[in-house]
Amino acid sequence: MHRVWAIVENTFKESLRQRILNLLIIFSILLIVVSIFLEPFALGESPKILRDFGLVVSSIFGILVVIIIGSSLIHKDIEKRTIYTVITKPVKRGEIIVGKFLGLFFLIAVLELGMTAIHQVVIFVYEGSFDPYLLIAFPFSLLEVMVLLGILLLFSSFSSTTMTSIMGIIFFIIGHGSPDLKLFADQTKVVALKYLAYIFYYILPNLENFNLRIDLVYKLPIHTDQLLFSLCYGLIYTILLLYISTLIFERREFK
Amino acid sequence: MLNDINLEIYQGEVFGFLGPNGAGKTTTIKIITGLLRPNSGKVSIFGMPYDSLKAKQLIGYLPESPFFYDHLTGYEFLKIHALLGNCTDYKKKVYELLEKVGLKRAGNLQLRKYSRGMLQRIGIAQALITDPDLIILDEPLTGLDPIGRKEIKDLILEQKQKGKTIFFSSHILPDAEVICDRIGIIIEGKIMKVGELKQLLKKGIKTDEISLEDWFVKQVKEKNA
Repeated sequence: MHRVWAIVENTFKESLRQRILNLLIIFSILLIVVSIFLEPFALGESPKILRDFGLVVSSIFGILVVIIIGSSLIHKDIEKRTIYTVITKPVKRGEIIVGKFLGLFFLIAVLELGMTAIHQVVIFVYEGSFDPYLLIAFPFSLLEVMVLLGILLLFSSFSSTTMTSIMGIIFFIIGHGSPDLKLFADQTKVVALKYLAYIFYYILPNLENFNLRIDLVYKLPIHTDQLLFSLCYGLIYTILLLYISTLIFERREFK
Repeated sequence: MLNDINLEIYQGEVFGFLGPNGAGKTTTIKIITGLLRPNSGKVSIFGMPYDSLKAKQLIGYLPESPFFYDHLTGYEFLKIHALLGNCTDYKKKVYELLEKVGLKRAGNLQLRKYSRGMLQRIGIAQALITDPDLIILDEPLTGLDPIGRKEIKDLILEQKQKGKTIFFSSHILPDAEVICDRIGIIIEGKIMKVGELKQLLKKGIKTDEISLEDWFVKQVKEKNA
């Protein structure tokens, strides 16, 4: 366990000290705070922009950190040869994958928690009370981060940083377009296309499972079984991704 | 490309692995340390498969021209490598090694602020952090000033006195001459000579040519002729 923890600590500190992260943090906090001034432009009786904006910003922040830092997580180590002294220690390759994953995940979790807290404070300043219902978004935003980070680690274990970032963006877009893919599969009359669409629908990640924004902002009821399904889906999908990444990484040589 | 490499390193010796650039020194070391896999053949470390965790537990390795995590401090870097090597009681050891490699004052400095020589020293410290029985150093004297080279050579000899086995590659021949018990010469992926330094010098060259450098140049020229 201490070996995994060493990699977690290394990844956490290395990622935290990257300058791009500071810029993202400052920019995201500014956006959340600035949303107070946008609120008067919202139509309707309840302050929606304030809620929606904060959730979107903290979610996009997590995704950006995953794509920018996560895409280089393994490949940078190989390219810069920093991985040499790690691989040659008595460490299993799977421990490296899990350590890298958890290191960046914990960092994003801490930062997103901070953003959620700031968001609540902004709501309190505007309305005089917190909105604890919105807190449900936090763990599900992290589940999305988990899945996307798993995808990036998978690509990072065999391809370049640029390719991994591109794949991250593609999977993010496809992942959120998953319900449309299902709709297409349901409605198309071409049998081959129908099966193909279903295959893609079931294989590719459905990131909309973790998107509760509309329900939370409009205070729509959220069912426990829906949350439970999303939780299990996110965890199983991530574990599978990490397992495949480990299998690929185990075969990797370092020239 | 390596071809027909047959090499045995004796326990407790300092073995110098010498060869011109591109001869296959680093490739050989990468295979021994498990960074590369041989197409055929067998590599054993103290009788164990080279890529087993048990074998890796006994190895300390310094890569050639090492690059390390920029944003970690020297202390953090050694701590992480101690933990990776299953050394959980690391604090005293980290401070001892920082002092030994002359980086006591730089322990809290991030590695991106280290000079090339300092990186080489911290790299050697991470190779020694788990007190390994086999220390593999790829060009450990490169990038060091004369004082630094002397200190690292002393460190290698100190490890030898502790009964450790040291396998290192170098192209700084006079330095190798001072610290090696045996040497191996690799040229174009093939081992040309292996043996005790004194014996090789006696056999290979005239009596008035006494330096390893002269002898080495002669071997390379003969091979290329």
